[in-house]
Amino acid sequence: MSIVTEPAPVPVGPGLSMFDPIFIGIDEFGQPVYITLAYRNLLAGGEPGGGKSGLLNCIAAHAALSVDSRLVLLDGKLVELGQWEDSADAFIGPDITAALDVLRRLQLVMNNRYAWLRAHNRRKVTAADGLSVITVLVDEIAFYSATVGSKQEQEEFVALLRDLVARGRAAGIPVVAATQRPSFDIIPTSLRDLFGYRAAFRCTTSNSSNIVLGHGWAEQGYSATDIAPTNQGAAYLIAEGGVPRRIKVAYLSDAQIAGIADYAAWIRRPGTITTPPSSPADWGMAA
Amino acid sequence: MSKSSPRRPFGGKSTGTVTVIEARVHRSWARNARMAFVLTAVIAGLLAAVVAASYMHPILALFVGVGVGVPLGGIVWVLVRIWPVIRLLWWWTPEIGLAGLLLVGWVQLASHTPTLVTLLVVALVVGVPAAVPVIRHQIMAWAWCLVVRHRLRVCFAQFIIANQSGSLPLILWATPTPVGERVWVYLRPGLSVKDLEARLDKIAVTCHASTVLIERASDGNAAYVRFDIKRREVLTANVGSPLVDVIDPDTPTVEQAPQEVPTALDLPDVQAPTITLPKQGGTTDRKPAATSTANGSKPAASSSTAEDDVSDWI
Ligand SMILES: Nc1ncnc2c1ncn2[C@@H]1O[C@H](COP(=O)(O)OP(=O)(O)O)[C@@H](O)[C@H]1O
Ligand SMILES: [Mg+2]
Repeated sequence: MSIVTEPAPVPVGPGLSMFDPIFIGIDEFGQPVYITLAYRNLLAGGEPGGGKSGLLNCIAAHAALSVDSRLVLLDGKLVELGQWEDSADAFIGPDITAALDVLRRLQLVMNNRYAWLRAHNRRKVTAADGLSVITVLVDEIAFYSATVGSKQEQEEFVALLRDLVARGRAAGIPVVAATQRPSFDIIPTSLRDLFGYRAAFRCTTSNSSNIVLGHGWAEQGYSATDIAPTNQGAAYLIAEGGVPRRIKVAYLSDAQIAGIADYAAWIRRPGTITTPPSSPADWGMAA
Repeated sequence: MSKSSPRRPFGGKSTGTVTVIEARVHRSWARNARMAFVLTAVIAGLLAAVVAASYMHPILALFVGVGVGVPLGGIVWVLVRIWPVIRLLWWWTPEIGLAGLLLVGWVQLASHTPTLVTLLVVALVVGVPAAVPVIRHQIMAWAWCLVVRHRLRVCFAQFIIANQSGSLPLILWATPTPVGERVWVYLRPGLSVKDLEARLDKIAVTCHASTVLIERASDGNAAYVRFDIKRREVLTANVGSPLVDVIDPDTPTVEQAPQEVPTALDLPDVQAPTITLPKQGGTTDRKPAATSTANGSKPAASSSTAEDDVSDWI
């Protein structure tokens, strides 16, 4: 068990960092697949039951166990990311007003961080800055961008999200989003193309596979339609400027998630976690 | 190039396209052989004559030159003429080598050991790999590598004929991968990765595979490509996360505020207007969505639907 002295600035967690590569599964050669989320956004697409929420949970687990990390969870279904609520700074259910609120806060934080970077003549946040990486996980974007709320709210949601996706990466605010079909009515193409990582879980048509991975990959043989429906968690992952890779996402069962979430909540409880030296100001201004 | 024209009169053994190409190829080989003969004979003959001229009379040296140049040209001519045969042998080198090795081994074994021992050795050599799955799979994988090189050649010869002389890409080596094989190929003029990508499904069928992917194998040379042939799905087992092991299972849980558990869990429990999905925080009224932010900007739309809604929001 961990030592719990009150003014402990030493993190008792496993010492993971959001700047570390995140293990998300294995590829066809049995090699581990890592993504570095600190400077890139990730979009997961694919038909229901493909394993998108599994991937989000995998990332959430790493983020929850990381010392320099804050989690913002938007989950219209409540249950997919609900177990991380205690480790998260914000957990938004099916409530677009709250979602907009938290996105506006994030936008402010982002602006402040860029101002801070400019004041220090720098261009991006690094691990040495002591700023936390604020991971924004959105499960089923369509719920917020096309289902709930008024037209204006949906548009504002998309606009805020686009701003985060477009500008957030250098400020340490990566966005991880999942959606069943990232067609233009759910996510505008301009927004979709900004995600540095795209993961295509099983798709029903090669057209939708193309929508996730990018134009033309299905014609070159990289089509998520050839993933068997029974093979949940298998996906094509493409990183910016690369070639899609067939991967199998690591799976966390409910019990394992509960274990990790409890542990994360314990190491993150107020008083133990190291508060990065300059971030409280940001959050104070934002909140 | 790959259009098939079955009405071609001189269809030898297969479709018209192939025959046409072959006729042309044949002619070009004859021409190439003649050219090689002339070039070799002239160059070698001249060289020999020049060298010989420093030892003897120039006229005699000329005869020496002819004597050297013509036989050399003849050798080259033969080589070029039988090039198809040499190429065939080259294609089958691994198989020929293996078969030769086996044959020699068998003959040696049979002539140097008594029958019982021979049979025992054969039983061991065949039985052990057959019985040990790891070895068996390795052997099968490498056998597929041999097969797939020939299948790829069939693809190129049968339906990806690219240029007038029908030159085939150089099929380099192949290695097994967990899902199938990976083959490196050096394309000849007339082909590109784009051409091949249009025929991926046919290549897969020809290779008895599930899918085929083609990637460039070199950044600086577009001719050097890599075929990834997939005939197995390996990503079926569940993958665990290493994060499960880094946590301490004995950590005390943080006490948390008790969550209120919703009650109305069945359809009859829910009255139509009162309980809906919590679309808007804090409002009990239906229909707040259309008016929440639209109040100022779209008065016409909201007032036309319901006036009381607007009053709620002011
Ligand atoms: N990586 C995985 N490995 C094995 N099974 C998985 C994996 N991811 C998901 N599954 C299975 O698929 C089901 C649906 O996955 P989920 O992530 O909820 O899909 P989605 O969010 O795409 O609708 C899960 O309940 C689980 O049983
Ligand atoms: Mg889901």
